Amino acid sequence: MKKIENIINRIRINKGDNEISEFQKNMSLRDDIGFDSLDLAELTVLIEDEYNIDIFESGIVSTLEEIHERLLIDGGNN
Amino acid sequence: MNNQKVILVTGVSKGLGLAICKNLLLSDWKVYGVSRSITAEIEKLKSSYKTSFVYIQYDLLEINDLKQDLFVKYFKNVSFDGFVNNAALAYDDIVTNLDLSALSKMYTVNVFAPFLLTKLVLRNFILNKKSGAVVHISSVSVHTGYKGLSMYASTKGALEAFSKNVAREWGPKNIRSNCIVAGFMETNMSSSLSLSQKTRIYNRTALKLPTSKDSVANSVKFLLSDSSSSITGQNIFVDSGTI
Repeated sequence: MKKIENIINRIRINKGDNEISEFQKNMSLRDDIGFDSLDLAELTVLIEDEYNIDIFESGIVSTLEEIHERLLIDGGNN
Repeated sequence: MNNQKVILVTGVSKGLGLAICKNLLLSDWKVYGVSRSITAEIEKLKSSYKTSFVYIQYDLLEINDLKQDLFVKYFKNVSFDGFVNNAALAYDDIVTNLDLSALSKMYTVNVFAPFLLTKLVLRNFILNKKSGAVVHISSVSVHTGYKGLSMYASTKGALEAFSKNVAREWGPKNIRSNCIVAGFMETNMSSSLSLSQKTRIYNRTALKLPTSKDSVANSVKFLLSDSSSSITGQNIFVDSGTI
């Protein structure tokens, strides 16, 4: 899931935040990664572009692990 | 500011949509035009603008397939700069005759499809890091009451509220949203009105004239262009000065 981490860091860098070097599965996208709703929208768009899956389509996703689950459940393949 | 822009326009087969389309193509912009029926005028545009006009026949009533059949199938590699929500159904009647099926069709085409298209266009802007512009075609009937137009006007009122709030929501990403509040034009949409009804409506304007399609189309282009970069969340009245 390096790709997801890269996408997250790209969004952080664009907003002027530092890269995160070590990701934990249970990191909260809002509290630990610091994303607001517009950042999360950007995240879903970039993930959909990569995996053809809209991870928010069946409800809000709040942790890194949930993104992974959503991609696997919906047929996503790393 | 004369950079070629790429614009999605709905309801392009006739009337105002066609005028908007022609106006943008004349400025060398690229237009992706959608309408449910294909007309001789559309065929003409297709042959005159082989590369800059892409036409897709699609009925917005098929709202559930909109993402798949338009955005995935045709727009996957398109980077839009703007979206003109022009397609609309005009179901007019006095409210005591309200027919739920006609009303619900009108809401699908005039409100739900535009909301969904806005979602998909905004996601396209975000993906391509574009500071895009959305323009909704509203109607002066939202602001001035006309007999028989309560239901139609309510769909346009919904768009005005939606546009204002989208502007606030997406302003931080430099995405703009505005409405053109069009007055009565000489198009098929107003063809069910009698001459005396039309005259009465035009006499309620400062100019005593129907609203010019070209004036509306030029205003749409202005709101899509970089010339209006500080204008968002607004309703611009192009209505011969309705009083």
